[in-house]
Amino acid sequence: MKKIKRMFKIHRIFMAQEFKRMMEYKGDFIVGIIGFLLIQLSNLLFLWIIFSQIPNLMGWSMNEVIFIYGFSLIPKGIDHFFFDNLWAIGHFIVRKGDFDKYLTRPVNTLFHVLVEKIQIDAFGEMLTGIALVCVTAPSLGASLSVFRILIMLAIIPFITLIYTGIKTITASIAFWTKRSGSIIYVFYMFNDFAKYPATIYNRFVQNIITYIIPFALTSYYPALFILKGENPLFNLGMPVLASFVLMGAGIIVWHKGTRAYESAGS
Amino acid sequence: MIYVDKLRKEFKKTIKDPGLKGSIKSLFKPKSEKVVAVSDISFEVPEGEILGFIGPNGAGKSTVIKMLTGILTPTSGTCTINGKNPTENRKSYVKEIGVVFGQRTQLWWDLPLRETYGVLKEIYEVPEDSYKKRMAFLNEVLELDSFITSPVRTLSLGQRMRADIAASLLHSPKVLFLDEPTIGLDVVVKDNIRKAIEYINRQEKTTVILTTHDLADIELLANRIVMIDKGSNVFDGTIGELKTKYGQIRELCFETDSPNAAQALGYEKHFGFGEDELSLEAEGKTVKVRFNSSVVPVSDMLSYTLDKINVSDISVKDADIEEIIRRLYKQGVE
Repeated sequence: MKKIKRMFKIHRIFMAQEFKRMMEYKGDFIVGIIGFLLIQLSNLLFLWIIFSQIPNLMGWSMNEVIFIYGFSLIPKGIDHFFFDNLWAIGHFIVRKGDFDKYLTRPVNTLFHVLVEKIQIDAFGEMLTGIALVCVTAPSLGASLSVFRILIMLAIIPFITLIYTGIKTITASIAFWTKRSGSIIYVFYMFNDFAKYPATIYNRFVQNIITYIIPFALTSYYPALFILKGENPLFNLGMPVLASFVLMGAGIIVWHKGTRAYESAGS
Repeated sequence: MIYVDKLRKEFKKTIKDPGLKGSIKSLFKPKSEKVVAVSDISFEVPEGEILGFIGPNGAGKSTVIKMLTGILTPTSGTCTINGKNPTENRKSYVKEIGVVFGQRTQLWWDLPLRETYGVLKEIYEVPEDSYKKRMAFLNEVLELDSFITSPVRTLSLGQRMRADIAASLLHSPKVLFLDEPTIGLDVVVKDNIRKAIEYINRQEKTTVILTTHDLADIELLANRIVMIDKGSNVFDGTIGELKTKYGQIRELCFETDSPNAAQALGYEKHFGFGEDELSLEAEGKTVKVRFNSSVVPVSDMLSYTLDKINVSDISVKDADIEEIIRRLYKQGVE
C-alpha cells in the first residue's frame, strides 16, 4: 500500500515537472495547442466525409463503425499521453547511454521511464475519441444500457495496458540492439487495423490482430459486447487477459533488458 | 566497505568490413567478437577513504564505475558495497550512493535548478526538515545560491558541475562516485570542487571513488590510487608508494654557456645508463637531464656534471607524479 502511494506521489511530481517545463516555453506551448486543435478539426471533417460515403460495412451501420473507431482512440490516447517516453527508449535513451540515470535512482526503472514524460499531442486522440463516442451513442441508444457503459469505462484501463505492454516489449529490444524505434513503429502501426470491425479482414489478418498482435481486442471485440451484448466471456475476458499477458511479458523482457544494457562510452 | 573481487566485463562487438558493402554484408552475416573491457579487477576501499581511480582513455575506468554503481551487470566476479550487491539489491543500494558523471547531467534541463532538488527529495524520500538542513549545507559548500533560481540550460559548466555534485549528495550517501568531476573546468572552479569534496569527505566520512585525468585532483584529494590499464590492475597503493616504486626519476636542470658541451658530457658512457633510464633535453642555455636515480645517485651525477663543464644555476627536481604516470601509460601502450 505504501509502495502504491509512493508511486502515485512520484507520478504526480513528474507530471507537475512536465507542466512546468511546458510553461517554461509559453510561445511554443500556445502555438502547439492551436496547431493541435486545427489538426483535430480537420481529422473530424475527414472522418465525416469518409463515413458519410459508407452507409454500412459488413453489417455494421455507419454509427456503429464510428463508435468503434472513436472507442479505439480513447485507450490509445491515454497510453500515448502518459507513456510516450518508451519511444525515446527505442530511439536514443539506450543508444546514447542516457539510461544510466534511471539505474542510479531508487525507483523502478520501467515506472520511472513511463511516468517521466507526457505527450500533450495525445490529448487530441482522446478528445476526438470521446467526441465520436458521445456523438454516436444516442443513435445507438437502444442497445446502450447504463451497465454496458460502466463496463466500457471499466475496460479502458486494461486496453490501455495492451498498448503499453506492446510498446514496452518492443522498446526493450533496444537494450540488446541499441535501437528499436522502427520495431516499435511497425508493431504500433498494426493498431490501424483496430479502427474498423475485424470482420472486414480475411481470416489470416483476423487471427493476427486477435491472437498475435491483438489490437482487435482494443476496440472491435469490446464493442461487440457493448453494442450487441455478444459473448461477454470472450469479448471482455480476452482483452483483460491480453493486458495482463502483454504487460507481464513487457515487465519481464524489460528487466532482462536492463541487465543486458551496455551503456555508452564516456 | 567496498570489496571488489575479480570483477570482469565482456562486451560483444560486431565486426564490420569498412564501407557500405561491409555494412550490408554484416546485416546478413553478422560476425562478432568478444571484447574484454575489464578483466579480473580486485581492490578494497575502507570507509572514509578517497580513492583515485586512474588509467589512460579506454582503460576500463568508466566500466568499473558503472559496475560499482549498478548500471552494468558484471560478466563475472562480485562487488559488495555496504554489504550490498549493486545489481541484485539495486533500489535499496542506490539510496546509499551518489553518482556524478562529469560528461552527463541528471538535472532537469529546462527548469530552474531548484526544481531538480525538489524532485530528487521525493525520489530519495528525504524528510522535509533534513532536506532544508541539507540544502543549507550544500549551498554553503558548493555556493549554489547565486544560480539556484536559474534554468539549468543557462548554467555555466562550472555551475552545472557544482549543481550535479550537490544533486548527488542530497540524500547524504555513504559512497560518492565521481567520474571525471573536473573535466573541462577552469583552475578556480576545479579548486572549489576539490575543496568541497575534501570537506564533505572529512565532515561526513563519505567514501569517495574518483576517476580523473587531472593528476592534481589525485595529488590533492586521493589517499590512495588504483591504476588500471587495458582492463587490469597495474598499481594499487598510496601516492608515496607510487613514487618510490616507479618514481626514481630525477630531473637535473642547469644553465651553461656551452650547451654543446652538455651534449658531449657522455652520461651514458660514463655511468652506463640503459635505455629509458636517461633523457637529455637542451634548449638554449638550459639543459634538462632526466635520469633514474636508483642507477646513479643524484650526488654522483651532480659532481660529475660540475667537474666537466661550467654551470650556473643548477637544480634537482623530485619526480612529479605526472611524469611517473606518463611513463606508466606509455609502457602500457607498448
